[in-house]
Amino acid sequence: MAIPLVPKLLRAHLAELAAEDQRHDGRGRFVGRDTELEINCLPRAEGSAKVRMGDTIVYAGVKFQIMTPYPDRPNQGGLMCSAEVRPVAGRNWEPGPPSPQSIELGRVVDRGIRESGCINTEDLCLIPGEKAWQVILDLFAVSDDGNLFDAFALAGIAALKSAVIPAERFGIGEDQPLDVAKTPVMCSYHKVGGRFVYDADKREELGGDERIHITLGDDDHVHSLQKGLKGIFTAAEFAEIMDQARLRCAELRDLIDEKLEGV
Amino acid sequence: MGGYGDVQCIDENGIRLDGRTKDEVRPVHIETGVVPVADGSARMTWGLNDVIAAVYGPMEAHPRKIQRQDRAVLDVRYNMAPFSTTDRIRPGFNRRSREISKVTAEALESVVLTELYPRSKIRVEIEIICAEAGTRCAGITAASVALAHAGIPMSDMVVSVASGKVHDIVVCDLNKEEDNYGEADLPMGILPNSGELVFLQMDGDLSPDQFQEAWDYNMKATQVIHAEMVRALKGGDE
Repeated sequence: MAIPLVPKLLRAHLAELAAEDQRHDGRGRFVGRDTELEINCLPRAEGSAKVRMGDTIVYAGVKFQIMTPYPDRPNQGGLMCSAEVRPVAGRNWEPGPPSPQSIELGRVVDRGIRESGCINTEDLCLIPGEKAWQVILDLFAVSDDGNLFDAFALAGIAALKSAVIPAERFGIGEDQPLDVAKTPVMCSYHKVGGRFVYDADKREELGGDERIHITLGDDDHVHSLQKGLKGIFTAAEFAEIMDQARLRCAELRDLIDEKLEGV
Repeated sequence: MGGYGDVQCIDENGIRLDGRTKDEVRPVHIETGVVPVADGSARMTWGLNDVIAAVYGPMEAHPRKIQRQDRAVLDVRYNMAPFSTTDRIRPGFNRRSREISKVTAEALESVVLTELYPRSKIRVEIEIICAEAGTRCAGITAASVALAHAGIPMSDMVVSVASGKVHDIVVCDLNKEEDNYGEADLPMGILPNSGELVFLQMDGDLSPDQFQEAWDYNMKATQVIHAEMVRALKGGDE
């Protein structure tokens, strides 16, 4: 990603607003943008979701491949998660090999899903040591107006939960839904004007400092954390956003369940 | 083009697998503004094809060696999303997408008034979200709409469509099975107001008469698709 100029004016403006406990788009500190989730929107994917948060739009698609299990885990299949932010998504994203930013995106989302244990990789094994399913989750940004992390994580878990293993096409039995036992959800907080806000948009990202990503699973178990960008934060600040994350993750989990019921 | 012949693409009544007659176009729908952060954008669904095109610019052209003193350059990228096909596509450029990007850029450069923006660059991003055959045509068409939506001056839009031959019958606007099992494919990029061409490819086997028939189908389909492009840009009734 090309490093955009950060106008001092934007930083100053955001800091002034923060002093009055306001945000440039009128939201409260911990209020997210309108979030839309659409499930099974990609006919060629075995599971898919589209998420829109304000002007940020992403897709997630699940595909399956046959793999040879790794020698040290002969009775397990695999889960692969890759995020791509192509130049379609914004004027600062450039073509070429994946940038450090998009690699971080993919890896942080991957950890949240993987470490929650929502997919039992042993269930994916077909013949120990020889044949297993590899689940591939591809995250694809169409429009980046900030907070791709949360959009990717939400689309990712929703796509997995709607996925069907295409066993018939591979000639190994009947199609069956992929078993996803848990619903890990990510909430990201960005320090803007000296305090953390939830779901920063592009302008707040550009004029802000460090960010923290929290993935919580069912029962509020923590599955991944990531602090990104330059900045210093206190334990009290972290405790505050952790409390907020618990509330918001539960709401998003309800949204996923509600959309999956309709499928 | 295989010509395996083991898939019956047209029945004895001349009805195709997707229920069309041989001279029908797949259902086409276009909407604009689907990439809110871009200067112009369009989404085209065409049969099962789902294509997003976004335009950024005109902007400063860098690196400087790509600059042209008398005109803008079009920086076009065609890409298929990993989940757009039955078998996953590994991310990254390949020879096919590079060639399609090149011919798409050349088709669009023929209509964009690039001389109005010397030393600048116009980025055109074409992303295939779901593929059914004819993605390059859908990409060129969607990119034309996105350019118009971005307010880039053009002499005309480009409508691209591919007709071809399957089981020795010429059919309009090939679908996936016809593309896979058919005997010929003739994609064209047509300027709907003049009938001129800016893009032409072909592979397979066509007799002179069949070639003319496929050509005429493409010309006819152009008018149908152009009407939808105009509707999408003018925000007319669905």
